[in-house]
This record gives sequence, C-alpha cells and structure tokens, in this order.
Amino acid sequence: MIEAKVRLQAGEFRLSAELQGGGMICLAGKNGTGKTTLLRAVAGFLPIAEGFVRIGGTDITKRPVEEREVVLVTPTTCLPHLGVDSHLVWGAKLKGLRPEKGHVLRLKSELGIDYQGTVGNLSRGMRQRVALATALLSVPRAVLVDEAFLGLNDREAFILRYGELAKQAKVEVIFSSQDEADGTLADYLYVLHDGLATPKQRGANP
Amino acid sequence: MNWLRLIAIASLLLLLVPIIVLLYYGLGPFRDAAGYSAEVIRSIELTLFSSALAVFADFILFTPLAYYLARGNDRISESLVDIPVSVPHPIIGVALLILDSPVTPTGKFLLGLQINFYNTMLGLVTALVIMSAPIYVKSMQPYFQSKDPSPEEFAMGMGASRLRTLYSVVLPNSRDGLTSASLISMSRALSEFGSISIIAFYVLQFPFYGVSPASVTIYEFFSGNMSGGLNAAVTASAAMILVAIPITVAGHMFRRRTGR
Repeated sequence: MIEAKVRLQAGEFRLSAELQGGGMICLAGKNGTGKTTLLRAVAGFLPIAEGFVRIGGTDITKRPVEEREVVLVTPTTCLPHLGVDSHLVWGAKLKGLRPEKGHVLRLKSELGIDYQGTVGNLSRGMRQRVALATALLSVPRAVLVDEAFLGLNDREAFILRYGELAKQAKVEVIFSSQDEADGTLADYLYVLHDGLATPKQRGANP
Repeated sequence: MNWLRLIAIASLLLLLVPIIVLLYYGLGPFRDAAGYSAEVIRSIELTLFSSALAVFADFILFTPLAYYLARGNDRISESLVDIPVSVPHPIIGVALLILDSPVTPTGKFLLGLQINFYNTMLGLVTALVIMSAPIYVKSMQPYFQSKDPSPEEFAMGMGASRLRTLYSVVLPNSRDGLTSASLISMSRALSEFGSISIIAFYVLQFPFYGVSPASVTIYEFFSGNMSGGLNAAVTASAAMILVAIPITVAGHMFRRRTGR
C-alpha cells in the first residue's frame, strides 16, 4: 500500500497530490500536469515541502534515495554498458539477493525479453523491458514507471503482465500515462490537472 | 563574404603566431643541434612521463570531485577549484616548498615520512597535479552534467550510493569524456613552468638523475645557463610543440565526439 501526501513547489509549478492505493496505480494527465514531478518526489529526487510518503506502512519521506527502495524507470533508463543477463540481476545483486535462474528465465519469458547483447545497443523498447524487469528483480518497495510503458508493441498486455508479476513479488507500481483510459489496466486511477491529483473510479477495484 | 568567419580566422591566426614563428625558426633558420640533443630528448621524456602520472592522479583523485560538482549544487567548492590556476603559478611552487620545508611543522612531518617534494619526481608530479586538476575537473564537470541522469537515478533507486553509482554506472559509460579531459589536462601539465621551476628544477632520482622538465630546459638555454643559447631554446621549443600539439588536438577531437 502506497500512501503519499505531497506538496511542493518546483519553479513556478505547484504540486499538491494525495495518493492512496496498492498494486498498480495509474497517474494520468496531459503534459505539464505534474506526473513526473510527483513520481520524482515519491522517489526522493525532489524535496517535499510538506507531506509524507509511506509504503507498506513504512515512512520513507526523509530517507535518502538509495535507502528508499523505490526504483524510478523512465524511457531512457538502463545501464547501457551491461549485457542483458548482467543487467537483469544488477540491482538484485546489489541488495545481496541471488535470484534463481528459473525465476529470471520465467520473468524474461513473461516480459518478452528473448534477446541478448549489450543493453546500450538494443532498441528503446527492448531496453525499457530490460530496465523494468531489472527493477522488479531487485524487489524494491515500489517501481515508479514514468511513461516507460510507452512505445512497447504489446503495451496493454505488457502492463497487465507487469502488474501481475509485481503483485506476486509484493512490489507496488505507480505508472504515468497521458491517456486516462489506461486506468482500466490499473487498480487505482488518479488524474492530474495543474498539479492537483484527483482519484477517479475505474471499475471494480477502487 | 562571411565576415564572422573572416574575423574568427584572423583572431585564431593571431593566437597561433607565436607557435608558427617558433616552428618556422626552430625547424628552419635557428635550428641548432643542441635543441634536439639527448639532454633535450630526456627532458621531453621526463615531461611526458610526469604529465602522464599527473593525469592518472587527476583521474583517481579528482573524478569524484568533478561528479560531485556536476550533480550537486555546491557553488563555493566550484569556485575554490579554480584558485590554483588563477594565482601566479610560481606561488604553487613556493607553497609546496614551504609545505615540505624542514623549518615548518608540516615539512618536518612529511620529511619524517620520507615525503620530499624538492627536486623529486613526487614534487614535480604534485605540482603538475595541482596545476592540471582544475582543468580536468572543469572538463569532466560539464561532461557529467550533459549525461542523462536517469541511469544514475535508476541505480540509486536500487540501493547504489552516489560513489557506487559513479564507479559502476557513470564511469563505464564515460570513456570519451575521460579521454578528452585527460588529454586536455595532460596538455596543460606539459606546458607548466612557473611552479615546477621552483619545486622541481631537476629530478634527481632514478631514472632521470639530474634531468630538468622541458620547459625548464628551454629556459636554461634561453638564460645562458646551458650552452646553445637562443637558437637551442627555439629549436627545443619547436620540438616540444611538435610533441604537445597531437595531444592537445586529440583531446579536443574527443571533446567534439562527446558533443560538448
């Protein structure tokens, strides 16, 4: 369960948002509405003027980025010098985890990672899959996906599969999208407009 | 007529006049065998070797500083970095001399640890590090700033500290920037005279027993302390320019490749 109350000012932009939900949360909104600002605040890259961020009941508001266990994935995120397999387990190894080979292979198959090579030489979509899988294998508290689902050829199916895998690993996911309809792929939907987040009904779960 | 181009080329030629003049006279009318004698070759070898060591030290000691300045917001440290190159360079030589003098407490302490700067390779390299490190840092800092921070943020989110992120994520993807900054700071080290003429006029130890750095040797020819006089000074200067130019040009070519 993610609970966040974020008030901050970044330049001229003022953000005021409250989120509460577990599993997959979709943050929808047009360009400049504050999606990235909110995700960066939750990840710890932007200081919050007022409020808190709690994940699984633990208050991480004042923790430095590297101790939050919140991974931010953007469309350009990857460790380009690594091979696919080394990349996938990089974060897990950093935490001292040893993911089973079978688990890694299953995740690769589920997320359509059926290629090898240096990650920096792959197409953007292929890199995004690897980065998203790497984040999941490191078993953080939460993965924040800032438009990194964009450009995937099987986007909707991928988001649903990613959500299922995240739930199995007990990892919360917040993803941003410009399309409010993507809320149907998530458990919770928040729509951002001018820095204000409004919860929206999106079906059975809210 | 592209006037801007014309003015730019004219001002560039103005800058290059001393170099062109030295190359012309050094390789032509003023050419003197003393200017490319074994002694001069040894002094150029010493200059190249000590400059390379200084750049290696810059890489080890100052890459974290460049990264810290690039990703932090520490204006005071950023200004302090420039100080060594903004004071007259002999001051750095005098400072090292005092730091390691037997009449000062620091000198007594350092000499007690067998750390001696005066006319040693250590003193020469230390002076070159102080004079080239600001150039290295100021070259690496914009390079790091120009890099997309998302891989670093990704690594930090998975638990990597800033230092771990630097060594595991940033540096493996910064070869062009590192090469460019190293070559540019090496060309700065090659050209140093003021500080090293005070702290390391000669290097008295193995394997350079009594060899002076190239800039000091050129000054020695010019001042008449070494036989050969002005002609030898001009010839040795031309030889040094021929060695330094490829390093400078390579540094700037790598800089262009990095897109800065």
